[in-house]
Amino acid sequence: MSSRTANAAQPRGEAFAGSEPLHGPMITTAKPKFKRSRISSRHQEWIAGYLFVLPDALGLLVFLGLPMLLSLVLGLYEVDGFGSYRFVGMANYAKMMSDRLFWQSAKVTALYAVMLVPLLYVCGLGLALLVQKTNRFNGFIRSMFFAPHMISLVVVALVWQFLVVDKIGVLTRLASALGFSGISLLGDPDFALFTVVAVSVWFLMGYYMLIFLGGLQDIPAMYYEAATMDGAGPFARFWYITLPLLKPTSFFVIMISMVAAVAGSQAFDIIWVMTSGGPANSTSVLIVYIYQQAFGFGAFGYAAAMSSILVISLMVLTGLMFLLTRGGRFNYD
Amino acid sequence: MSDKPKLFVPSSWSRRRFLRNSATFAAAGVASGVSGFPFINKLPVRAQDAPLKFWQFYAPGGQVKPQVEWFEKMVADWNDSHEQKVELEFVPNKEYINGPKLATAFASGQGPDVFIISPGDFLRYYNGGVLQDLTPYIDEKARADFPESVLATRMVDGKIYGLPMEVEPMAMYYSVKAFEQAGLNENDVPKTWDELLELGKKLTTPERYGLLFQTAPGYYQNFTWYPFLWQGGGEFQGADGKSAFDSPATVQALKFWQDAVNSGAAPRQVLGNGANDSVANLASGYCAIQNVGIWAISQLKNNAKDFPYGVFRLPTPANGKYVTVGGGWAFVANAKGRNPEAAGQFCAWALASTEQGSVDRVATWCTEAKSDMPPRDSALKAREAAFGEGMIGKFARDIHPGTRAEPRVPPEVYKIISDAIQQTMQGGADPQATASAASQQLDAYLASYSGAPLL
Repeated sequence: MSSRTANAAQPRGEAFAGSEPLHGPMITTAKPKFKRSRISSRHQEWIAGYLFVLPDALGLLVFLGLPMLLSLVLGLYEVDGFGSYRFVGMANYAKMMSDRLFWQSAKVTALYAVMLVPLLYVCGLGLALLVQKTNRFNGFIRSMFFAPHMISLVVVALVWQFLVVDKIGVLTRLASALGFSGISLLGDPDFALFTVVAVSVWFLMGYYMLIFLGGLQDIPAMYYEAATMDGAGPFARFWYITLPLLKPTSFFVIMISMVAAVAGSQAFDIIWVMTSGGPANSTSVLIVYIYQQAFGFGAFGYAAAMSSILVISLMVLTGLMFLLTRGGRFNYD
Repeated sequence: MSDKPKLFVPSSWSRRRFLRNSATFAAAGVASGVSGFPFINKLPVRAQDAPLKFWQFYAPGGQVKPQVEWFEKMVADWNDSHEQKVELEFVPNKEYINGPKLATAFASGQGPDVFIISPGDFLRYYNGGVLQDLTPYIDEKARADFPESVLATRMVDGKIYGLPMEVEPMAMYYSVKAFEQAGLNENDVPKTWDELLELGKKLTTPERYGLLFQTAPGYYQNFTWYPFLWQGGGEFQGADGKSAFDSPATVQALKFWQDAVNSGAAPRQVLGNGANDSVANLASGYCAIQNVGIWAISQLKNNAKDFPYGVFRLPTPANGKYVTVGGGWAFVANAKGRNPEAAGQFCAWALASTEQGSVDRVATWCTEAKSDMPPRDSALKAREAAFGEGMIGKFARDIHPGTRAEPRVPPEVYKIISDAIQQTMQGGADPQATASAASQQLDAYLASYSGAPLL
């Protein structure tokens, strides 16, 4: 009889009563009384699961949920940055509607995301395909591709700023040698955002390469063997096997790169150090504008209102992606 | 024996009750946070007898030894003779000027007791009610020692809220070597904008720009652009309180910087810490002429002492008159600090006392720790010899007499002017259309502005 069956056969709480003592005879004065739980075993598991999640949930609630809620509330106040709070209702949101710099920053953010997400996808997947075979060289090459991700973003921005500086930067000289003289990669509004996107891709692609490598390694080799035997070439194998079976990984990569691009979690450091949002606001993504309003101008209420809109936009975008992919589940039939 | 885990949950709890209690707990936490929200900054209780905190970007962590020593000696002298002690707290320059440290400190009621501000920041702090009136601690005789133009941007309704430690006029610096390579000498320094542009083009090579203005958006770029606006008679606000930005003077100043960039004589990017960094730009050979302030004398002396350079005053437009802008930082006391009275006394004692020690302190700062013009007449007299020779002497004789104080504007006005400069200089926008649009934005803002007057 299994222990589960044995326990089921006798009342819970009496499980120890008939068992042999481990070290000699045990003298008992009274039979221990256990109250029978009214919670079913299924619910006990359910509660156990929640208890395991509880510490993390509490952390998220205190350090993420609460600040987000406070930020929402702060958006309803006019805050001067010196301790004065005045309730203004939706005035900050109304101001946002007529603030041309808010809309310009939103446009720059959208452009940044539209360029960054596909580039990261292509570069991350491309690198992963290049180094997916395990041999003595690829381990080193993988580390090299991932290396930028281990450097401080401020250092990355400073190094790149020097590489592309007018006239004397290494890349500027290279461009001049190729006949593109007089180009200012960070000082010209027509090029600055592209430069910032290129630096962001250089920094982030190693990280996404690792995620794609994980996805590629989950694809059973027998599919490729069967396809090869059927005469499928490398392109056909990639198109009909790799890409479809990478859908869950692709979904994850697109989702987090989009959140990173829109929220500006990485973009902020790079942009702030390289251009401060310039020239002519051409790299002023929303997070840079929010930072300027809060810490440059002391308009914490207005900055909070813009942050709320940014978060809501992200939630809507993420929700749409989940809706389109039925919660990230993919049908391989 | 059961293989089920025994849970530390009251056995009578149902799933519904568990969820309800969890939700109640979470809601209570959130509600307590939200309800206490407007009072968050009033929660901290700070020790009254602790030393006053003096935030600045010079000491004790600064890299220029004479400046560190000047600050440390000042605080040591004060602490030796006063019961309320003062303690220096170093904040790195970039963090101090562009970072969130000061903003978050004041927002949470934890602002420093004494700190330094530039005129560009004055209105934000004054309108926020955190600047202590220093007038009661300043002797009439000492007050008269400060030229009115130096104090004006730190005063409201006749009361002094900031004490300047320096006056920093802007000028043009040039590389003697670059001039010589082009067959030029000090007699060829330009007098007009057109001459400056022509000279800039002449000095431009594949490796070097002829002249350099600040390119990055920020308070410093506005500061360096103002004299070009004023030289043609331009202002951003008229006597009637409305915008005066849409004027021929504004358009020609915007166009001048735009022409400098479009002609290829001036860069779209600068090196080092920005166009205030003469070592990274002029001494490195990145440019031949640089628009920078008096502080570059000590920068070059300390970090490029073998670099030969010259200085000339800002050229003027054909129809204009000479004027330059004078910046500089000022000591201020936090009216909401732990001891505003003592903080105010400290500021006055340090920079605006009639005692010889106070005068010497200002003079030492401007001649030994830095290279600046002093904000006090007596300090100028005390170091007459030092202010009569070399590059400082050039500033004292030729450049400083045309100095107008850096204007004080709210952040919103700064941003409108900054965008106009950026759009024309870097973005190639039409100067007239940009000036008109900026003027409309200024009018819209000024109509709703309530605070100390803009100057």
